[in-house]
Amino acid sequence: MDAEDGFDPTLLKKKKKKKTFDLDAALGLDDGSRKEEPKEDAPLDSGAADLEDNLDLESFGKKKKKKKKPFNLDELEGALPSAKEGEEEESNAAVLEEPEDDDINLDMDFSKDKKKKKSKKKDLDELFADKDEEDKSENKENVDDNSSSWAGTDRDYTYDELLKRVFEIILDKNPDMAAGRKPKFVMRPPQVLRVGTKKTSFANFMDIAKTLHRLPKHLLDFLLAELGTSGSMDGNQQLIIKGRFQPKQIENVLRRYIKEYVTCHTCRSPETILQKDTRLFFLQCESCGSRCSVASIKSGFQAVTGKRAAIRAKTT
Amino acid sequence: MSIQNLNTFDPFADAIKGADDDVQDGLVHIRIQQRNGRKTLTTVQGLSSEYDLKKIVRSCKKEFACNGTVIEHPEYGEVLQLQGDQRENICQWLTKAGLAKPDQLKVHGF
Repeated sequence: MDAEDGFDPTLLKKKKKKKTFDLDAALGLDDGSRKEEPKEDAPLDSGAADLEDNLDLESFGKKKKKKKKPFNLDELEGALPSAKEGEEEESNAAVLEEPEDDDINLDMDFSKDKKKKKSKKKDLDELFADKDEEDKSENKENVDDNSSSWAGTDRDYTYDELLKRVFEIILDKNPDMAAGRKPKFVMRPPQVLRVGTKKTSFANFMDIAKTLHRLPKHLLDFLLAELGTSGSMDGNQQLIIKGRFQPKQIENVLRRYIKEYVTCHTCRSPETILQKDTRLFFLQCESCGSRCSVASIKSGFQAVTGKRAAIRAKTT
Repeated sequence: MSIQNLNTFDPFADAIKGADDDVQDGLVHIRIQQRNGRKTLTTVQGLSSEYDLKKIVRSCKKEFACNGTVIEHPEYGEVLQLQGDQRENICQWLTKAGLAKPDQLKVHGF
């Protein structure tokens, strides 16, 4: 955990992006993740389709021979076979990777593949600008093919078909994933209001603690330690924090809490129990059974921000 | 594509890493505190006492154009305190100066 939380200013941006993606899905705070999937699929399809035509045109008889040959030979013969080979490997790699990874990683892989595809596609376009136009007409026919059409024939399968096939297999094997592809962890956004000028109220604090299945006190300790302020629960079960905070800021802290104390560090499922065992907190996962210790909440050094005279008057 | 199972894994990598760390308990905590109005304070806790914190703060003050002090704390040792939200700056500075590795920095706050 420590290594992950470590701060690399250059890496941070990337890391944060990934994290927000995961956590968004976990929190269900916004529908970004849901929207992203179709978006990613669409360009991938078109890119793959464009490529697979080149592959199809060339690959009917002589593909096996080509593959054995060293790379520079291919280059001599022309860019098309080499590109084809690259594409082949990619598609193979993608197919091999997919079944192992969990759904979150799946998305990452896709984006990676997509990028590679795009660059490849550009090269191809430059080289075979004229050929592509012919290909596009055939392209439509290929897309219409269903996933197992190649099963009986001796022609080579295309990337699209393999992709479809692997998704069908995934959905067959895991029927529970079929609906959303992700068991979502839905949470309401924190309701944060300003009370006066110096205090902030966190209205649905109890609700959030309940949805996370954590003791309100634990969450309270974490929030106050992270924000470096003081605060307390008031009469109607809302949290009053000293200082001005935006909902976005509270959300960030909640995300960090969820990452550290709610989601399982091994399988990232939110079905976990936090137990206290000899002064240490342990996170026990309900779905994968892993158990690991989590950092205790320490507020650390607190600088003097109030009036020193008032503090002095209090102590003496 | 590499096969993950065949990669060699060094089981003592963490131990080696822990041995040469420059900070006590391995982590540098960077926190932010709100003051009156929209003013803030940044505190850096956990830098090793081997370093001359006064020199560090002098350089930071110049670099970030802010004021700052070193505070002696009985429990946490010497703590660096800078005015304003210098979390990003101090993280970059510490890694650039080689005082702490990126995975040793822990940033708190919103």
